[in-house]
Amino acid sequence: MERGVSMKKQVRIDDIVSAVDGVILFKGENDYVRWVVSSGLMSDVLTTEEEEILLLSSLTTAQVVRTADMVGANAILLAYNKPVTDDVIALARELGITLLGTPYPVFEACHLLSPLFFGD
Amino acid sequence: MPNRFPISTEAVDKTPVATMEIILRLKVKDAMVTNVLAAKKSDTLREIQMMMKENEISGVPVLDENRLVGMISVNDIINALDRNYIHDKAEKHMVRNLIVLEDDMPLTFAVSYFNKYTYRRFPVINKEKEFVGILSTKDVLAAMLFEMNKEINALESRLTSVRADMPNQIVQEFVIKRFDFENAGTASFQLKKLLKEKSVDRKVLRRASVAAYELEINVAIHTFGGTITFIFDKDRITIIAKDNGPGILNVDEVCEEGFSTANEWIRSLGFGAGMGLPNTKRVSDDFSITSQVGVGTTVTSVIFLEAKDESE
Repeated sequence: MERGVSMKKQVRIDDIVSAVDGVILFKGENDYVRWVVSSGLMSDVLTTEEEEILLLSSLTTAQVVRTADMVGANAILLAYNKPVTDDVIALARELGITLLGTPYPVFEACHLLSPLFFGD
Repeated sequence: MPNRFPISTEAVDKTPVATMEIILRLKVKDAMVTNVLAAKKSDTLREIQMMMKENEISGVPVLDENRLVGMISVNDIINALDRNYIHDKAEKHMVRNLIVLEDDMPLTFAVSYFNKYTYRRFPVINKEKEFVGILSTKDVLAAMLFEMNKEINALESRLTSVRADMPNQIVQEFVIKRFDFENAGTASFQLKKLLKEKSVDRKVLRRASVAAYELEINVAIHTFGGTITFIFDKDRITIIAKDNGPGILNVDEVCEEGFSTANEWIRSLGFGAGMGLPNTKRVSDDFSITSQVGVGTTVTSVIFLEAKDESE
């Protein structure tokens, strides 16, 4: 896979929500993302060169939100509909990052999302 | 009545500047209680006695409209009962020669009053001579503790300075506490904010953010705590993470991808895969690490503000 720096097309948050039966926990500043980076390891996420990403993770700590902020992510999708504490939502609000949840595990969420990013 | 046992002011004379500033900054109105019961001058001492009993208070200001004209204390009530004039009006027996504070006075002034007189509380009036509240020693203590906590919190979390010899240089220092996973990242957020304000190139901003964040997380999870310092120069940003130990035996080893001493707890939080320092090194234009076992580690990352050539 190319770890390209080329600008990718925009995928609407609304389309993502319907693809993964998602819920919106907080609606941020941007209503689109350009790519998905998925990892349970935040240092891994920090190596990405992609811009305006959706960060997909099964972790629900405040550091997931901070990591998203550091790489300039537009949105975060949390797998397994794991419960999220109020301060994590508050941090997403403070940093203006959309926070979504899905009932699916990470792998299945990736599968459901891929047509949006790879199809034309 | 003058206080025969004033507090020694010796300790106050040696007060640190920050504490002194807090005390001087606070005014009587910041500490006083404003929701105060008061009597009218036409009220009888019996009515005031009941008011004291029901509300468990030991002193009542007497007002004429909004103006403070006297005070009735428990002592006055005892005298009234003793000498049989409890049904008299307050204005006849109230203490008129009052020592009052003004709401705009500094709190230090009030403290000196408590020291000078035996009264445990003073009525407070405003510029228009209207009664506005009561100040007790307890209120002074509460206000000062509250303000000091606020100040120390602010000092602990952020120390900013501009070096006199380097007027174009801004230095920000943040304290990072051991295992404070909740707040790790707040310093990097401040860095990102400042670089954004300075309209720094997007890629440079991202590299600086990643370096600062990895180093901040490192100090929180691997060390006994320390500081992260950002030095902003015209052409570069220098990030220095300095901790108080335990120190690293082999600094070459820790810069290899995958080398990690992290435990399960850290891994469960999404860190500790041995990527932190290699990541920092990757985004830095200049990277150095020095460490002494038992003393601490200092990691320095320099990022030039002119975008790095991406041809590599």
